Amino acid sequence: MSSGLIYYLSGLAILLGINLIAIWGLDLQFGLAGINNFAYVVFQAAGGYAAALFALKPAKAYGSFETYLGGFNLPFPLPLLGAALVGGLLAVPIGLIAMRRLRADYQAMAMLVLSLIATGLAQAQTGLVNGPTGLALIPQPLAGLLHVSPLGYNWIFLGLTAACCVIAWWVARGISRSPYGRLLRAVRDSESAVAALGRNPDALRMTVLIAGGALAGLSGGLLVEYVTAWGPASWLYPETFLFFTALIVGGKGNLAGGALGALLVPIGIIEVTRHLPAFGYPGLIDSLDWVVIGAFLLVFLWFRPNGLLPERKRVLRPGGAEPAGTGLRAVLAGRRAGSS
Amino acid sequence: MTLLLSIIIFGVYSAALLAIGAVGFTLQFGVTNVLNLAFGSILTACIFAEYGLTGHSTNIWIAMAVGAASGAVISLLVGHVVVGAFLRRGATGFGIAMVTIAISLMVQFGLEAIQGPYILAYAATTHATMKIGGVVLSSGQLTTIIVAVLAMVAVHLLLRTTKLGLAMRATAADVSLTRGCGVSPARTRAVAWLLSGALCGLCGVLLGLGEGSFSSSTGSDFFITLAAAAVLGGIGKPSGAMIGALLIGIMSQAAAAVISPSYKTIAAWIILIAVLVLRPQGILAEFAAERELVA
Repeated sequence: MSSGLIYYLSGLAILLGINLIAIWGLDLQFGLAGINNFAYVVFQAAGGYAAALFALKPAKAYGSFETYLGGFNLPFPLPLLGAALVGGLLAVPIGLIAMRRLRADYQAMAMLVLSLIATGLAQAQTGLVNGPTGLALIPQPLAGLLHVSPLGYNWIFLGLTAACCVIAWWVARGISRSPYGRLLRAVRDSESAVAALGRNPDALRMTVLIAGGALAGLSGGLLVEYVTAWGPASWLYPETFLFFTALIVGGKGNLAGGALGALLVPIGIIEVTRHLPAFGYPGLIDSLDWVVIGAFLLVFLWFRPNGLLPERKRVLRPGGAEPAGTGLRAVLAGRRAGSS
Repeated sequence: MTLLLSIIIFGVYSAALLAIGAVGFTLQFGVTNVLNLAFGSILTACIFAEYGLTGHSTNIWIAMAVGAASGAVISLLVGHVVVGAFLRRGATGFGIAMVTIAISLMVQFGLEAIQGPYILAYAATTHATMKIGGVVLSSGQLTTIIVAVLAMVAVHLLLRTTKLGLAMRATAADVSLTRGCGVSPARTRAVAWLLSGALCGLCGVLLGLGEGSFSSSTGSDFFITLAAAAVLGGIGKPSGAMIGALLIGIMSQAAAAVISPSYKTIAAWIILIAVLVLRPQGILAEFAAERELVA
């Protein structure tokens, strides 16, 4: 293989890892707990900006050619940790605003509007994160400390991404298999039953919004450190539906489905088509990508709404030794076992 | 003083534009109970259709007629055929929101592919201008206000005095009782999609002419502002949407004049969030009881 191709493939693998983390985060919120978070990309954006502002030096150090708040020049891995932290913290205001007891479609619309407001504010407040132009020259992790070729650096960054993926997988799997994960599925399937059992669905949803938001923030931080630039055009509201499409195509509510979706949608459609032989005017392929994504979404919602790898049906076996089920019936069983 | 006057006059103009779309959006929601997130993309599609069909007509009345007709057709296709099929398959709330988003993405980016890297200029020849206390209003803006008032009166009369309007209000209130009275809810819903699309197309053409240019994202931004008007007035209520449009129109003009022009739309969107959070039934009450707005 030519070195150019290897370089390209290593970059693709990094993007796959970053998307994987983001999609698993959304799977926690949407697949597991049933939150229609149409503002999901804002969490990723916030993580991206956080990583950028933590890693950049103050604006004066670059001759003030861009304006932004802060610029803390923190060493690796603090910007990434900060990104995850900010992504998680952002869940609190967004959750308090949008997770009211609204109809599902109203809630989705409120989230969508929050996403548009975030984009509008990032563009209008130029002093915050350099307005519509966005931030550039964001330092990469360990930049200047390692003396390696661009390809060598790609391998190092791939290792870092893989490590983050393992952490994300461990967190998501842990939540999904824990009693807490069962409660979240129960909230998704029958909120009133969970409330009747004495659990607080709002609090449960808020905690998983924070956990998913932290993963989104981490993915945003990695993305920004990899591409070294971040602006409002990178996180317009359709990006949210890229992640939703990935989950609906792959299969929501399970990690393998999310992984398959990450491979098929953000990588399979968006990234790979960047390297089709150019036809038409520049940007035509990008537009057509989104038409394909919309079509994918419609086709899957019609023919296979549970995705290619559907969530395993969890059934409580009455005579079984272990509480094999999850979801509402398992909660009921757990309660019954606890009370007897 | 001139500032206040211009806020009010251009506020009324924005309100007129918003009201045409918001009434269409809210009427269709009230009758069909489908939150149509593709409304903005349909609005853009109407401008493209009008631009393509009449070859950029300079006559504002022909433009409006073509825009309204194409809107009715597109809306019927999207709403009655595609969304209707998903509804018959048993999709609900979130699933339908996803379907309308998918359609919206396909339409918007399909139009972007057609449009190419250009912004399309769009203007009807305007002749006279009118001067009110130092504020100049173009004939196009004046026409928009007049058309909006006529459309509002027509919708009001349709809903209050005709059999069709009665059927629509009945379908909004109770589907099974309506069916029991021998009225076909499916046909009433189809009419609601048609009417909503016609108003959407009218709004789109007037918006495009007012802005002087359009692109594939013109409608999706305007849609959120228009939805703010509909939600503020109590979604599903055409009369509420008119009041909502007036409030949003004047408040967003005030935000543009007082803070900065880039806050014109953001102000409207923040109002939308505030209403959704604090008072989802809208500023006019009485409505929430019959429709399960608060789950």
